[in-house]
Amino acid sequence: MREMKMMFYKPIYFYSTIIVFLVSCIFFLSVLHEGQPEKMPVAVVDLDQSSISRRVVHELNATQSVDVTVRCVTFEEARLAMQQGWVYAILVIPEHFYSDMLAFKRPTLTFYTNMTFTMGGTTAYKQLMMFSNLASGAFQREILRKKGLPDHLIMQRIQPIAIDGHMLSNPTSNYSVYLSSIILPGILGLIAMIISIYTLGIELKWKTSRELMAEANGSIVCALMGKFLPHTLLYCTMGWTLNILLFRILNFPIAGPLWQLQIGIFLLVLAMQAMGTTIVGLLPVLRDAMSIGALYGMMGFSCSGFTFPVTGFVPAMRAVANLFPLRHYFRIYSNVALYGNPFIDSLPIMLCLFLFLAPQIAVNIRLRNAFINQNYPLK
Amino acid sequence: MMKEEDKQKLEGVKEQIRHERKMFRLESNLLLKISDTWNVFCEEMRRIFHDPGVIVLFFVAPLLYPILYNVLYFRNELLEVPVAVVDMDHSTESRRFIHEWNATPEVEVTHICVSMYEAEYLVKHGVVRGILYIPNDFNNNLASGLKTATLSLFCDMSSMLYMKNVYLSANKVMLDNMYKIQIDRYAAMNMDPELSWAFVQAAPYEENVMFVESGGYGHFLIPCVLVLILHQTLLLGISMLTGTAAQENREVFILPGRRRRYSILRILLGRGAAYFTLYMALGCYVLLLIPQWFGLPHIGQAGDIIRWMVPFLLATIYFGISLTAFMKERETGLVMLMPTSLIFLFMSGVSWPEMAMPDIWAAVSVLIPYTVGVHGFLHLNSMGGTLNTVPSEYTILWIMFACYFGLSCLLYFIRSKHYKKLQRKGLTSDEDSDERARRELDALIHDQEEAHIRAMEQSLYNALNNVKHNLTRLPDDDAQDVNDQFKE
Repeated sequence: MREMKMMFYKPIYFYSTIIVFLVSCIFFLSVLHEGQPEKMPVAVVDLDQSSISRRVVHELNATQSVDVTVRCVTFEEARLAMQQGWVYAILVIPEHFYSDMLAFKRPTLTFYTNMTFTMGGTTAYKQLMMFSNLASGAFQREILRKKGLPDHLIMQRIQPIAIDGHMLSNPTSNYSVYLSSIILPGILGLIAMIISIYTLGIELKWKTSRELMAEANGSIVCALMGKFLPHTLLYCTMGWTLNILLFRILNFPIAGPLWQLQIGIFLLVLAMQAMGTTIVGLLPVLRDAMSIGALYGMMGFSCSGFTFPVTGFVPAMRAVANLFPLRHYFRIYSNVALYGNPFIDSLPIMLCLFLFLAPQIAVNIRLRNAFINQNYPLK
Repeated sequence: MMKEEDKQKLEGVKEQIRHERKMFRLESNLLLKISDTWNVFCEEMRRIFHDPGVIVLFFVAPLLYPILYNVLYFRNELLEVPVAVVDMDHSTESRRFIHEWNATPEVEVTHICVSMYEAEYLVKHGVVRGILYIPNDFNNNLASGLKTATLSLFCDMSSMLYMKNVYLSANKVMLDNMYKIQIDRYAAMNMDPELSWAFVQAAPYEENVMFVESGGYGHFLIPCVLVLILHQTLLLGISMLTGTAAQENREVFILPGRRRRYSILRILLGRGAAYFTLYMALGCYVLLLIPQWFGLPHIGQAGDIIRWMVPFLLATIYFGISLTAFMKERETGLVMLMPTSLIFLFMSGVSWPEMAMPDIWAAVSVLIPYTVGVHGFLHLNSMGGTLNTVPSEYTILWIMFACYFGLSCLLYFIRSKHYKKLQRKGLTSDEDSDERARRELDALIHDQEEAHIRAMEQSLYNALNNVKHNLTRLPDDDAQDVNDQFKE
């Protein structure tokens, strides 16, 4: 239909959809490609300056996730470095550390982590905690060795109990797997919604909606379907390509079959477009609809619950979270990719996404009147 | 002599007059410039308040969004995550371990399962978020002291926070147990408890979480989001205003009330001042009041934060003006800038450490006021720094402001040049012919309607006059009556 022609003639469609989406993809995949942050800078305040404290620093430096970048003489200096964001954590080795240790006086290692930067802080924190435990273990091992115990017995002595962790379906706790597979479809959905608001609003703005209605023989459903068909096809193709890229080429773990996720993408695009239509239907002035759409769209990311889980929300907000299609896409994603549940389990969620089409049907009449009468301010 | 003196006097007076004239011209010029700037300021304010789309962005969003986010993350921390335990051992030791794990604030043991299969089913349906598997040789291994007793922990990875809770709490309990068992064993060997502690944990450690004591997710995220809200609404609003101006065929660099006066500097100063005034007020609300109301970290000096806000807002305003210098439609900016919010948030390095970011993105992030500004804000607000300890970000923001101000001047200059060229060609605007035709048609219809109305008015007036004319011939009383009727 003529929407195809419009899409080709207006560069904004091209820029905003393909370019913006490509840039976001490249950005997130390149930023997160390491999967786990490594070499977090930490500061060490070595008040002891003995051979053992230097060895501690040296071995801390050799670990994978932290990097001793600042060595200070006073705590003040280190605190300033942390406040200015140069380091995420500080380890303080007390005075007489070595001699106290030999005298069994249990000198205390102190560390400070900056939780304003969560990822860096947590990573450094975990590493320092593990490191401190290992340091104690190493000391005990040395003493037991001197007493002449065999190594396998020593290990058992030092660690009588252990936990081996298994991270289901994301074994390396890869952040790219965790974030990209939701953020990128989310951005796709956001673009789909904004563009659908734009494309409907522009008809009202340039007063071309009557032509559209004439072409659709006066049926709003026909008009909308004809209008959205090329868009839906474009976004679905982009979404499907994205998923193939993520799960087949970059080999993100996926437990279930990919086609179920592709249905999810299709429904997400439909739902977002339907929400866009609803907003235009309620507010047939392009500029207001766009602003409202922007606010709604950005909330979707927080409410989908892939960073801070929905179960942690206050109950009222938990209900509100269901009003965002991305939340349901996330549920489909965890069902299919993380848990590998059978299709029948994803079906109700897909139905939920389908329900987003309902309010749009309700506003159709209003939208038709707006399209025919064009009785709204222009700008 | 007298003549010479007169001449000199005359010269002196002339000089004085010339000087005064010059001063007057200068002064009036300056006054004019200031009043121009003031006009631009008022005009921009008027536009902001007459545009519902911009009002939504400039007022509704900054006022409402912070509250929404705070409500969303009201609980701040994730506590008592449901977990399942598969206890194959059924010993006192295993039960104690489960009990202790349950007692941690992070998790709550809601299900005791008989098989892994059952527990896995629970995880797959989102009922529990982690499984602890205790093998049947757990107690034996502990008692014999010949083998390490190993527990298996399975975490749901649908959210990293589940993983963090389950993992950290189990590890803590494990470490506690480990030390206890070791101490017990040494005690059995008649070792002094004090000494055995030194033996088991030669170097104990003390952990301090700085600045965000709770380590909660909301307390970390919301301050960054607050700054982002200011930054993004400002950018979107500016793009909308610029786009509207372009659409309504008003060139952005023409002074209001005059047709052909360009002064880029006055325009930019006036517009910047308008946004700046509004946003200083909004900024105080978003960055000073909101953290206080909702108990977010706020240990900064209000004065410092306000002083930091000045270059941040200025840099953002002129960044926005430069970005949108060539925008022709009001919606373009929204469509293009919306998805950048997430990218900016990520680029700032607050969630994902900047050290782990590819160099090219790190370089790009220096160009964006948000990514630089948010560090300054966190430093002042959350980490208790002062402006003296955060010099680099503060100066960078000022430099940024200068650069973007220069850039926006340059871009507007180019645009005005382009416009002048078009004017010379006789094209006042570069809208496509289609649209122009439509506009002309509209105008024509409008004119016709007006002419029609005028004609009708005219005929009505004539008719009325006729009636009045006739009335004068009637007797006075009757005329009065008819007149009254007319009035009614």
